[in-house]
Amino acid sequence: MSAPARSRETHRVRRWLRALGGVAAGITLAALCMLAVVMLLNAGRGPDAGISAHSGLLAAVAGTLWLAILTAAIAVPVGVGAAVYLEEYAPRTRAWRFLASVLANLAGVPPVVYGIAGLALFVRGMGLGPSILAGGLTLGVLTVPRVIANSRRALASVPESLRWNALALGATRWQVVREQVLRAAAAGIVKGCSAALVRAVGAAAPLLIIGAASFTTFAPVSPSDPLTSLPTQIFAWTARPQAGFPALAAGASVTLLFVMALIGLVLWDIRRRHGEARR
Amino acid sequence: MSARDEGTRTAGAEAVPVLSAEGLTVRFGERTALTDVSIEIPRGYTVSIIGPAGSGKTTLLRSFNRMNEVIPGSSQAGTIRFAGRNLHSAAMDPAEVRRRIGMVFEDAALFPGSVFDNLAFGLRARGEEGDLHGIAEAALQAAGLWSEGAEILETRAGDLSAEERRRMCIARTLALKPDVLLVDEPTSTLDPAAASRVESLIHALRDDYTIVFATCDHTQAGRLSDLTAYLDSGRLLEYGPTQTLFTNPRNPRTEFYLTGRLQ
Repeated sequence: MSAPARSRETHRVRRWLRALGGVAAGITLAALCMLAVVMLLNAGRGPDAGISAHSGLLAAVAGTLWLAILTAAIAVPVGVGAAVYLEEYAPRTRAWRFLASVLANLAGVPPVVYGIAGLALFVRGMGLGPSILAGGLTLGVLTVPRVIANSRRALASVPESLRWNALALGATRWQVVREQVLRAAAAGIVKGCSAALVRAVGAAAPLLIIGAASFTTFAPVSPSDPLTSLPTQIFAWTARPQAGFPALAAGASVTLLFVMALIGLVLWDIRRRHGEARR
Repeated sequence: MSARDEGTRTAGAEAVPVLSAEGLTVRFGERTALTDVSIEIPRGYTVSIIGPAGSGKTTLLRSFNRMNEVIPGSSQAGTIRFAGRNLHSAAMDPAEVRRRIGMVFEDAALFPGSVFDNLAFGLRARGEEGDLHGIAEAALQAAGLWSEGAEILETRAGDLSAEERRRMCIARTLALKPDVLLVDEPTSTLDPAAASRVESLIHALRDDYTIVFATCDHTQAGRLSDLTAYLDSGRLLEYGPTQTLFTNPRNPRTEFYLTGRLQ
Protein backbone atom coordinates (compact mmCIF):
# COMPACT_ATOMS: atom_id res chain seq x y z
CA MET A 1 0.00 0.00 0.00
CA SER A 2 1.36 3.42 -0.89
CA ALA A 3 1.89 6.06 1.74
CA PRO A 4 -0.93 8.41 0.60
CA ALA A 5 -3.40 5.48 0.53
CA ARG A 6 -2.43 4.48 4.05
CA SER A 7 -2.83 8.06 5.22
CA ARG A 8 -6.30 8.23 3.59
CA GLU A 9 -7.23 5.04 5.40
CA THR A 10 -6.03 6.43 8.75
CA HIS A 11 -8.07 9.52 8.02
CA ARG A 12 -11.21 7.49 7.39
CA VAL A 13 -10.73 5.43 10.57
CA ARG A 14 -10.25 8.56 12.56
CA ARG A 15 -13.44 10.09 11.13
CA TRP A 16 -15.40 6.97 12.07
CA LEU A 17 -13.99 6.95 15.57
CA ARG A 18 -14.84 10.60 16.02
CA ALA A 19 -18.43 9.96 14.88
CA LEU A 20 -18.69 7.01 17.27
CA GLY A 21 -17.45 9.17 20.14
CA GLY A 22 -19.98 11.85 19.23
CA VAL A 23 -22.86 9.34 19.27
CA ALA A 24 -21.78 7.98 22.66
CA ALA A 25 -21.52 11.47 24.12
CA GLY A 26 -24.92 12.36 22.62
CA ILE A 27 -26.63 9.32 24.17
CA THR A 28 -25.16 10.14 27.61
CA LEU A 29 -26.20 13.76 27.32
CA ALA A 30 -29.70 12.85 26.16
CA ALA A 31 -30.13 10.46 29.09
CA LEU A 32 -29.06 13.16 31.52
CA CYS A 33 -31.41 15.71 29.94
CA MET A 34 -34.30 13.24 30.12
CA LEU A 35 -33.54 12.62 33.80
CA ALA A 36 -33.53 16.35 34.48
CA VAL A 37 -36.77 16.89 32.57
CA VAL A 38 -38.53 14.05 34.43
CA MET A 39 -37.34 15.42 37.75
CA LEU A 40 -38.35 18.96 36.87
CA LEU A 41 -41.81 17.82 35.71
CA ASN A 42 -42.28 15.90 38.92
CA ALA A 43 -41.07 18.82 40.98
CA GLY A 44 -43.30 21.17 39.00
CA ARG A 45 -46.43 19.25 39.95
CA GLY A 46 -46.07 21.05 43.22
CA PRO A 47 -46.83 20.09 46.76
CA ASP A 48 -50.47 19.38 47.33
CA ALA A 49 -50.56 17.61 50.67
CA GLY A 50 -50.65 19.40 54.01
CA ILE A 51 -47.20 19.09 55.52
CA SER A 52 -45.30 18.84 52.26
CA ALA A 53 -46.24 22.41 51.40
CA HIS A 54 -44.18 23.59 54.33
CA SER A 55 -41.21 21.32 53.64
CA GLY A 56 -38.12 23.22 52.53
CA LEU A 57 -34.57 22.38 51.53
CA LEU A 58 -32.56 25.08 53.29
CA ALA A 59 -31.65 22.80 56.22
CA ALA A 60 -30.60 19.95 53.93
CA VAL A 61 -28.49 22.20 51.67
CA ALA A 62 -26.77 23.80 54.66
CA GLY A 63 -26.17 20.35 56.17
CA THR A 64 -24.62 19.07 52.95
CA LEU A 65 -22.26 22.06 52.74
CA TRP A 66 -21.27 21.58 56.40
CA LEU A 67 -20.58 17.89 55.72
CA ALA A 68 -18.48 18.71 52.64
CA ILE A 69 -16.32 21.14 54.62
CA LEU A 70 -15.87 18.80 57.60
CA THR A 71 -15.11 15.81 55.38
CA ALA A 72 -12.50 17.78 53.43
CA ALA A 73 -10.95 19.17 56.62
CA ILE A 74 -10.46 15.63 57.96
CA ALA A 75 -9.79 13.53 54.87
CA VAL A 76 -7.47 15.80 52.86
CA PRO A 77 -4.71 16.46 55.43
CA VAL A 78 -4.80 12.96 56.90
CA GLY A 79 -5.11 11.22 53.52
CA VAL A 80 -2.50 13.24 51.65
CA GLY A 81 -0.13 13.10 54.64
CA ALA A 82 -0.46 9.32 54.85
CA ALA A 83 0.06 8.98 51.10
CA VAL A 84 3.24 11.11 51.21
CA TYR A 85 4.56 9.02 54.10
CA LEU A 86 3.80 5.72 52.38
CA GLU A 87 5.20 6.71 48.97
CA GLU A 88 8.13 8.96 49.88
CA TYR A 89 9.39 7.90 53.30
CA ALA A 90 8.32 4.50 54.58
CA PRO A 91 10.79 1.69 53.84
CA ARG A 92 9.23 -1.06 51.72
CA THR A 93 9.15 -3.73 54.41
CA ARG A 94 6.67 -6.55 54.88
CA ALA A 95 4.78 -4.34 57.35
CA TRP A 96 4.53 -1.66 54.65
CA ARG A 97 3.02 -4.10 52.18
CA PHE A 98 0.54 -5.27 54.83
CA LEU A 99 -0.47 -1.70 55.72
CA ALA A 100 -0.77 -0.73 52.04
CA SER A 101 -3.05 -3.66 51.28
CA VAL A 102 -5.22 -2.97 54.36
CA LEU A 103 -5.63 0.66 53.25
CA ALA A 104 -6.45 -0.40 49.70
CA ASN A 105 -9.11 -2.78 51.05
CA LEU A 106 -10.56 -0.09 53.33
CA ALA A 107 -11.14 2.05 50.23
CA GLY A 108 -13.38 -0.74 48.96
CA VAL A 109 -15.44 -1.27 52.13
CA PRO A 110 -19.11 -0.31 51.53
CA PRO A 111 -20.15 3.04 53.08
CA VAL A 112 -22.87 1.30 55.15
CA VAL A 113 -20.16 -0.41 57.21
CA TYR A 114 -18.59 2.97 57.98
CA GLY A 115 -22.04 4.12 59.09
CA ILE A 116 -22.20 1.34 61.68
CA ALA A 117 -18.68 2.15 62.87
CA GLY A 118 -19.56 5.85 63.04
CA LEU A 119 -22.70 5.08 65.06
CA ALA A 120 -20.72 3.06 67.60
CA LEU A 121 -17.69 5.34 67.75
CA PHE A 122 -18.84 8.93 67.28
CA VAL A 123 -22.57 8.97 68.04
CA ARG A 124 -22.49 6.68 71.10
CA GLY A 125 -18.84 6.22 72.09
CA MET A 126 -17.89 9.90 72.01
CA GLY A 127 -21.43 10.95 72.83
CA LEU A 128 -21.75 13.33 69.89
CA GLY A 129 -25.29 12.19 69.16
CA PRO A 130 -26.72 12.23 65.64
CA SER A 131 -25.08 15.58 64.88
CA ILE A 132 -23.47 17.18 61.85
CA LEU A 133 -20.09 16.65 63.54
CA ALA A 134 -20.69 12.91 63.95
CA GLY A 135 -21.76 12.74 60.28
CA GLY A 136 -18.72 14.73 59.13
CA LEU A 137 -16.35 12.54 61.14
CA THR A 138 -17.92 9.39 59.68
CA LEU A 139 -17.73 10.69 56.11
CA GLY A 140 -14.18 11.89 56.82
CA VAL A 141 -13.05 8.45 57.98
CA LEU A 142 -14.79 6.87 55.00
CA THR A 143 -13.03 9.24 52.61
CA VAL A 144 -9.48 8.95 54.03
CA PRO A 145 -8.64 5.58 52.37
CA ARG A 146 -9.88 6.85 49.01
CA VAL A 147 -7.83 10.04 49.31
CA ILE A 148 -4.80 7.89 50.24
CA ALA A 149 -5.31 5.59 47.25
CA ASN A 150 -5.79 8.46 44.77
CA SER A 151 -2.91 10.55 46.16
CA ARG A 152 -0.55 7.57 46.18
CA ARG A 153 -1.32 7.00 42.52
CA ALA A 154 -0.51 10.67 41.76
CA LEU A 155 2.78 10.50 43.71
CA ALA A 156 3.78 7.20 42.13
CA SER A 157 3.38 8.72 38.66
CA VAL A 158 6.12 11.28 39.39
CA PRO A 159 9.23 9.89 37.66
CA GLU A 160 11.97 8.65 40.00
CA SER A 161 14.54 10.68 38.06
CA LEU A 162 12.95 13.92 39.32
CA ARG A 163 13.64 12.84 42.92
CA TRP A 164 17.18 11.75 42.04
CA ASN A 165 18.01 15.00 40.27
CA ALA A 166 16.69 17.02 43.20
CA LEU A 167 18.49 14.89 45.81
CA ALA A 168 21.76 15.09 43.87
CA LEU A 169 21.63 18.89 44.20
CA GLY A 170 22.03 18.49 47.96
CA ALA A 171 18.38 18.78 48.96
CA THR A 172 16.94 16.90 51.91
CA ARG A 173 14.13 14.37 51.49
CA TRP A 174 11.57 16.88 52.73
CA GLN A 175 12.84 19.67 50.44
CA VAL A 176 12.56 17.28 47.48
CA VAL A 177 9.04 16.23 48.47
CA ARG A 178 7.79 19.73 49.21
CA GLU A 179 9.41 21.66 46.36
CA GLN A 180 9.39 19.14 43.52
CA VAL A 181 7.39 15.95 44.08
CA LEU A 182 4.26 17.58 45.55
CA ARG A 183 4.34 20.28 42.90
CA ALA A 184 4.64 17.73 40.13
CA ALA A 185 1.84 15.62 41.63
CA ALA A 186 -0.40 18.55 42.69
CA ALA A 187 -2.86 18.29 39.80
CA GLY A 188 -3.33 14.54 40.32
CA ILE A 189 -3.71 14.90 44.10
CA VAL A 190 -6.33 17.65 43.83
CA LYS A 191 -8.19 15.62 41.23
CA GLY A 192 -8.08 12.50 43.41
CA CYS A 193 -9.29 14.42 46.48
CA SER A 194 -12.14 15.96 44.47
CA ALA A 195 -13.33 12.56 43.24
CA ALA A 196 -13.28 11.13 46.78
CA LEU A 197 -15.04 14.18 48.27
CA VAL A 198 -17.81 14.30 45.70
CA ARG A 199 -18.56 10.64 46.37
CA ALA A 200 -18.70 11.23 50.14
CA VAL A 201 -21.05 14.20 49.81
CA GLY A 202 -23.45 12.13 47.73
CA ALA A 203 -23.55 9.23 50.19
CA ALA A 204 -26.81 8.64 52.10
CA ALA A 205 -26.39 5.18 53.65
CA PRO A 206 -23.83 5.93 56.42
CA LEU A 207 -25.73 9.05 57.51
CA LEU A 208 -29.05 7.19 57.66
CA ILE A 209 -27.48 4.64 59.99
CA ILE A 210 -26.05 7.33 62.24
CA GLY A 211 -29.54 8.80 62.40
CA ALA A 212 -30.02 11.70 60.06
CA ALA A 213 -33.08 13.81 60.87
CA SER A 214 -35.79 13.78 58.21
CA PHE A 215 -37.63 16.64 59.86
CA THR A 216 -35.81 19.74 61.02
CA THR A 217 -37.28 23.14 61.76
CA PHE A 218 -34.09 25.15 61.35
CA ALA A 219 -30.96 25.11 59.20
CA PRO A 220 -27.81 23.87 60.97
CA VAL A 221 -25.52 26.73 61.94
CA SER A 222 -22.91 24.74 63.86
CA PRO A 223 -21.50 21.19 63.71
CA SER A 224 -23.37 20.25 66.89
CA ASP A 225 -26.78 20.77 65.27
CA PRO A 226 -28.87 17.74 64.20
CA LEU A 227 -27.54 15.87 61.19
CA THR A 228 -29.33 16.52 57.91
CA SER A 229 -28.22 16.42 54.28
CA LEU A 230 -29.70 16.38 50.81
CA PRO A 231 -29.26 12.65 50.07
CA THR A 232 -30.83 11.61 53.39
CA GLN A 233 -33.65 14.15 52.92
CA ILE A 234 -34.39 12.71 49.48
CA PHE A 235 -34.43 9.22 50.95
CA ALA A 236 -36.79 10.28 53.76
CA TRP A 237 -39.20 11.99 51.38
CA THR A 238 -39.38 9.10 48.91
CA ALA A 239 -40.36 6.85 51.83
CA ARG A 240 -43.45 8.99 52.69
CA PRO A 241 -46.84 7.86 51.37
CA GLN A 242 -48.46 11.31 50.90
CA ALA A 243 -48.84 12.58 47.33
CA GLY A 244 -46.71 15.73 47.62
CA PHE A 245 -43.51 14.07 48.76
CA PRO A 246 -42.39 12.33 45.52
CA ALA A 247 -42.45 15.79 43.94
CA LEU A 248 -40.40 17.16 46.80
CA ALA A 249 -37.90 14.31 46.45
CA ALA A 250 -37.56 15.03 42.73
CA GLY A 251 -37.01 18.71 43.42
CA ALA A 252 -34.43 17.86 46.07
CA SER A 253 -32.64 15.58 43.58
CA VAL A 254 -32.31 18.46 41.14
CA THR A 255 -30.98 20.60 43.99
CA LEU A 256 -28.52 17.87 44.98
CA LEU A 257 -27.18 17.68 41.43
CA PHE A 258 -26.89 21.45 41.44
CA VAL A 259 -25.01 21.50 44.76
CA MET A 260 -22.71 18.72 43.57
CA ALA A 261 -22.05 20.67 40.38
CA LEU A 262 -21.28 23.73 42.50
CA ILE A 263 -18.79 21.80 44.67
CA GLY A 264 -17.31 20.29 41.53
CA LEU A 265 -16.91 23.76 40.05
CA VAL A 266 -15.07 25.04 43.14
CA LEU A 267 -12.73 22.02 43.03
CA TRP A 268 -12.23 22.45 39.28
CA ASP A 269 -11.24 26.07 39.86
CA ILE A 270 -8.68 25.01 42.49
CA ARG A 271 -7.32 22.45 40.05
CA ARG A 272 -7.15 24.97 37.21
CA ARG A 273 -5.26 27.51 39.30
CA HIS A 274 -2.87 24.80 40.52
CA GLY A 275 -2.23 23.76 36.94
CA GLU A 276 -1.36 27.33 36.02
CA ALA A 277 0.88 27.76 39.03
CA ARG A 278 2.90 24.76 37.95
CA ARG A 279 3.77 26.29 34.61
CA MET B 1 53.78 13.70 28.13
CA SER B 2 52.24 16.05 30.67
CA ALA B 3 52.03 15.33 34.37
CA ARG B 4 48.34 14.66 33.90
CA ASP B 5 49.03 11.71 31.64
CA GLU B 6 51.27 9.83 34.00
CA GLY B 7 48.45 7.94 35.61
CA THR B 8 46.92 7.42 38.96
CA ARG B 9 49.48 5.15 40.64
CA THR B 10 52.27 7.72 40.48
CA ALA B 11 50.02 10.71 40.98
CA GLY B 12 48.43 9.06 44.01
CA ALA B 13 51.80 8.79 45.67
CA GLU B 14 52.35 12.53 45.86
CA ALA B 15 48.89 13.76 46.80
CA VAL B 16 45.76 12.43 48.43
CA PRO B 17 43.32 11.54 45.63
CA VAL B 18 40.11 13.57 45.71
CA LEU B 19 38.07 10.40 45.43
CA SER B 20 38.99 6.81 46.04
CA ALA B 21 37.18 3.51 46.30
CA GLU B 22 38.57 0.44 48.02
CA GLY B 23 37.07 -2.99 47.56
CA LEU B 24 33.75 -1.44 46.56
CA THR B 25 30.92 -3.93 46.08
CA VAL B 26 27.39 -2.69 45.42
CA ARG B 27 24.29 -4.88 45.35
CA PHE B 28 20.69 -4.12 44.44
CA GLY B 29 18.72 -6.88 46.09
CA GLU B 30 20.07 -10.13 44.66
CA ARG B 31 21.87 -8.46 41.77
CA THR B 32 25.52 -7.48 42.17
CA ALA B 33 26.26 -4.32 40.18
CA LEU B 34 29.89 -3.76 41.23
CA THR B 35 32.37 -6.31 42.56
CA ASP B 36 35.50 -5.36 44.49
CA VAL B 37 36.27 -2.15 42.63
CA SER B 38 39.31 -0.15 43.75
CA ILE B 39 40.05 3.12 41.97
CA GLU B 40 41.65 6.48 42.72
CA ILE B 41 40.62 9.78 41.12
CA PRO B 42 43.46 12.32 41.37
CA ARG B 43 42.48 15.96 41.82
CA GLY B 44 42.24 17.97 38.63
CA TYR B 45 42.09 14.96 36.32
CA THR B 46 39.34 13.99 33.94
CA VAL B 47 38.49 10.31 34.23
CA SER B 48 36.27 8.37 31.88
CA ILE B 49 34.50 5.14 32.72
CA ILE B 50 33.84 2.94 29.71
CA GLY B 51 32.38 -0.51 29.29
CA PRO B 52 29.44 -2.39 27.82
CA ALA B 53 25.83 -1.60 28.84
CA GLY B 54 25.06 -2.92 32.31
CA SER B 55 28.72 -3.07 33.32
CA GLY B 56 28.17 -0.82 36.37
CA LYS B 57 29.33 2.57 35.01
CA THR B 58 26.37 4.50 36.39
CA THR B 59 26.48 2.60 39.70
CA LEU B 60 30.14 3.54 40.15
CA LEU B 61 29.34 7.22 39.47
CA ARG B 62 26.39 7.13 41.85
CA SER B 63 28.41 5.57 44.64
CA PHE B 64 30.77 8.59 44.56
CA ASN B 65 28.00 10.93 45.76
CA ARG B 66 25.99 8.48 47.83
CA MET B 67 23.12 8.29 45.37
CA ASN B 68 22.90 4.49 45.46
CA GLU B 69 21.59 4.48 49.00
CA VAL B 70 18.36 6.17 47.91
CA ILE B 71 17.50 3.08 45.85
CA PRO B 72 15.48 0.63 47.98
CA GLY B 73 17.26 -2.69 48.47
CA SER B 74 20.76 -1.39 47.73
CA SER B 75 23.68 -2.43 49.90
CA GLN B 76 27.36 -1.64 49.82
CA ALA B 77 30.65 -3.03 51.07
CA GLY B 78 34.07 -1.40 50.89
CA THR B 79 35.23 2.14 51.53
CA ILE B 80 34.92 5.33 49.52
CA ARG B 81 37.01 8.31 50.54
CA PHE B 82 36.53 11.94 49.59
CA ALA B 83 39.72 13.94 50.15
CA GLY B 84 40.84 11.25 52.56
CA ARG B 85 37.64 11.21 54.64
CA ASN B 86 35.28 8.25 54.71
CA LEU B 87 32.24 9.20 52.63
CA HIS B 88 29.94 7.15 54.85
CA SER B 89 31.19 8.26 58.27
CA ALA B 90 28.57 9.66 60.64
CA ALA B 91 30.03 13.16 60.35
CA MET B 92 29.34 13.24 56.59
CA ASP B 93 25.98 14.78 55.70
CA PRO B 94 24.76 13.13 52.48
CA ALA B 95 23.26 16.43 51.28
CA GLU B 96 26.62 18.17 51.76
CA VAL B 97 28.40 15.29 49.99
CA ARG B 98 26.09 15.72 46.99
CA ARG B 99 26.71 19.46 46.85
CA ARG B 100 30.50 18.99 46.87
CA ILE B 101 30.39 16.05 44.45
CA GLY B 102 27.81 17.16 41.89
CA MET B 103 26.19 14.77 39.47
CA VAL B 104 24.54 15.29 36.10
CA PHE B 105 22.29 12.32 35.30
CA GLU B 106 21.74 10.78 31.92
CA ASP B 107 18.00 11.12 32.53
CA ALA B 108 18.14 14.79 33.50
CA ALA B 109 14.67 15.56 34.82
CA LEU B 110 13.57 19.17 34.53
CA PHE B 111 11.93 20.77 37.53
CA PRO B 112 8.62 22.49 36.87
CA GLY B 113 8.97 26.23 36.29
CA SER B 114 11.58 28.45 34.69
CA VAL B 115 15.30 27.97 34.13
CA PHE B 116 15.86 30.24 37.13
CA ASP B 117 13.60 28.04 39.29
CA ASN B 118 15.69 25.07 38.22
CA LEU B 119 18.96 26.72 39.25
CA ALA B 120 17.59 28.28 42.42
CA PHE B 121 16.32 24.97 43.83
CA GLY B 122 19.72 23.61 44.84
CA LEU B 123 20.87 27.02 46.08
CA ARG B 124 17.79 27.53 48.25
CA ALA B 125 18.08 23.95 49.53
CA ARG B 126 21.47 24.77 51.03
CA GLY B 127 20.06 27.97 52.56
CA GLU B 128 21.70 30.38 50.12
CA GLU B 129 20.41 33.88 50.82
CA GLY B 130 22.83 35.83 48.64
CA ASP B 131 22.41 36.99 45.06
CA LEU B 132 20.63 34.00 43.49
CA HIS B 133 20.41 35.76 40.12
CA GLY B 134 24.14 36.49 40.10
CA ILE B 135 25.04 32.88 40.94
CA ALA B 136 22.58 31.58 38.34
CA GLU B 137 24.02 33.91 35.70
CA ALA B 138 27.59 32.78 36.39
CA ALA B 139 26.57 29.12 36.21
CA LEU B 140 24.61 29.59 32.98
CA GLN B 141 27.57 31.44 31.45
CA ALA B 142 29.89 28.61 32.43
CA ALA B 143 27.49 26.14 30.80
CA GLY B 144 27.20 28.25 27.64
CA LEU B 145 23.54 29.17 28.08
CA TRP B 146 23.91 32.92 28.45
CA SER B 147 24.41 33.82 24.77
CA GLU B 148 20.95 35.39 24.56
CA GLY B 149 21.23 37.24 27.83
CA ALA B 150 19.04 37.35 30.91
CA GLU B 151 15.97 36.21 28.95
CA ILE B 152 17.00 32.62 29.52
CA LEU B 153 16.26 32.92 33.26
CA GLU B 154 12.55 33.37 32.67
CA THR B 155 12.29 30.73 29.93
CA ARG B 156 10.23 27.71 30.87
CA ALA B 157 12.58 24.73 31.28
CA GLY B 158 10.17 22.63 29.21
CA ASP B 159 10.64 24.96 26.22
CA LEU B 160 14.40 24.33 25.96
CA SER B 161 15.91 22.14 23.24
CA ALA B 162 17.57 18.84 24.18
CA GLU B 163 21.01 20.49 24.05
CA GLU B 164 19.89 23.45 26.16
CA ARG B 165 18.32 21.08 28.68
CA ARG B 166 21.59 19.22 29.04
CA ARG B 167 23.44 22.51 29.48
CA MET B 168 20.89 23.69 32.05
CA CYS B 169 21.33 20.49 34.08
CA ILE B 170 25.09 21.02 34.02
CA ALA B 171 24.55 24.66 35.10
CA ARG B 172 22.26 23.47 37.94
CA THR B 173 25.16 21.44 39.30
CA LEU B 174 27.83 24.09 38.62
CA ALA B 175 25.81 26.70 40.53
CA LEU B 176 26.68 24.83 43.74
CA LYS B 177 30.42 25.13 43.01
CA PRO B 178 31.22 21.43 43.47
CA ASP B 179 34.74 20.04 43.90
CA VAL B 180 34.04 17.13 41.60
CA LEU B 181 31.68 16.83 38.65
CA LEU B 182 30.17 13.42 37.87
CA VAL B 183 28.55 13.24 34.44
CA ASP B 184 26.63 10.21 33.21
CA GLU B 185 26.59 9.89 29.43
CA PRO B 186 27.23 13.60 28.70
CA THR B 187 25.98 13.50 25.11
CA SER B 188 23.46 10.66 24.90
CA THR B 189 20.15 11.50 23.16
CA LEU B 190 21.78 14.50 21.41
CA ASP B 191 22.23 14.81 17.66
CA PRO B 192 25.86 14.70 16.47
CA ALA B 193 26.26 18.48 16.13
CA ALA B 194 24.81 19.17 19.59
CA ALA B 195 26.81 16.27 21.03
CA SER B 196 30.06 17.75 19.78
CA ARG B 197 29.17 21.18 21.21
CA VAL B 198 28.35 19.69 24.65
CA GLU B 199 31.58 17.72 24.42
CA SER B 200 33.44 21.00 23.91
CA LEU B 201 31.75 22.32 27.03
CA ILE B 202 32.99 19.34 29.07
CA HIS B 203 36.42 19.90 27.57
CA ALA B 204 36.36 23.53 28.71
CA LEU B 205 35.26 22.53 32.23
CA ARG B 206 38.29 20.22 32.55
CA ASP B 207 40.45 23.17 33.55
CA ASP B 208 38.30 24.04 36.57
CA TYR B 209 36.95 20.75 37.84
CA THR B 210 37.87 17.18 38.56
CA ILE B 211 35.50 15.34 36.21
CA VAL B 212 34.44 11.71 36.21
CA PHE B 213 32.17 10.72 33.35
CA ALA B 214 30.65 7.50 32.07
CA THR B 215 30.21 6.96 28.37
CA CYS B 216 29.23 4.23 25.90
CA ASP B 217 31.21 6.04 23.23
CA HIS B 218 34.85 5.13 23.82
CA THR B 219 36.05 7.55 21.15
CA GLN B 220 34.61 10.28 23.38
CA ALA B 221 36.58 8.87 26.30
CA GLY B 222 39.66 9.12 24.11
CA ARG B 223 38.98 12.74 23.24
CA LEU B 224 38.11 13.98 26.73
CA SER B 225 39.84 12.01 29.45
CA ASP B 226 43.29 11.79 31.03
CA LEU B 227 42.57 8.45 32.63
CA THR B 228 40.22 5.69 31.53
CA ALA B 229 38.65 2.91 33.55
CA TYR B 230 37.29 -0.15 31.78
CA LEU B 231 34.41 -1.83 33.61
CA ASP B 232 33.13 -5.24 32.59
CA SER B 233 30.29 -7.06 34.41
CA GLY B 234 30.82 -4.94 37.50
CA ARG B 235 34.58 -5.50 37.71
CA LEU B 236 37.27 -2.93 37.04
CA LEU B 237 39.42 -4.78 34.51
CA GLU B 238 41.78 -1.98 33.59
CA TYR B 239 42.55 1.57 34.69
CA GLY B 240 45.29 3.85 33.49
CA PRO B 241 46.29 6.74 31.24
CA THR B 242 43.81 6.96 28.37
CA GLN B 243 46.51 6.83 25.68
CA THR B 244 48.12 3.70 27.08
CA LEU B 245 44.80 1.95 27.59
CA PHE B 246 43.68 2.69 24.06
CA THR B 247 46.95 1.88 22.27
CA ASN B 248 48.29 -0.91 24.42
CA PRO B 249 45.61 -2.47 26.60
CA ARG B 250 46.87 -5.06 29.07
CA ASN B 251 43.62 -6.99 29.41
CA PRO B 252 42.45 -8.88 26.32
CA ARG B 253 38.80 -8.04 27.12
CA THR B 254 39.63 -4.33 27.04
CA GLU B 255 41.12 -4.81 23.62
CA PHE B 256 38.08 -6.81 22.46
CA TYR B 257 35.77 -4.06 23.70
CA LEU B 258 37.74 -1.25 22.08
CA THR B 259 37.97 -3.06 18.77
CA GLY B 260 34.31 -4.12 18.79
CA ARG B 261 34.97 -7.84 19.12
CA LEU B 262 33.54 -8.35 22.61
CA GLN B 263 31.07 -11.24 22.63
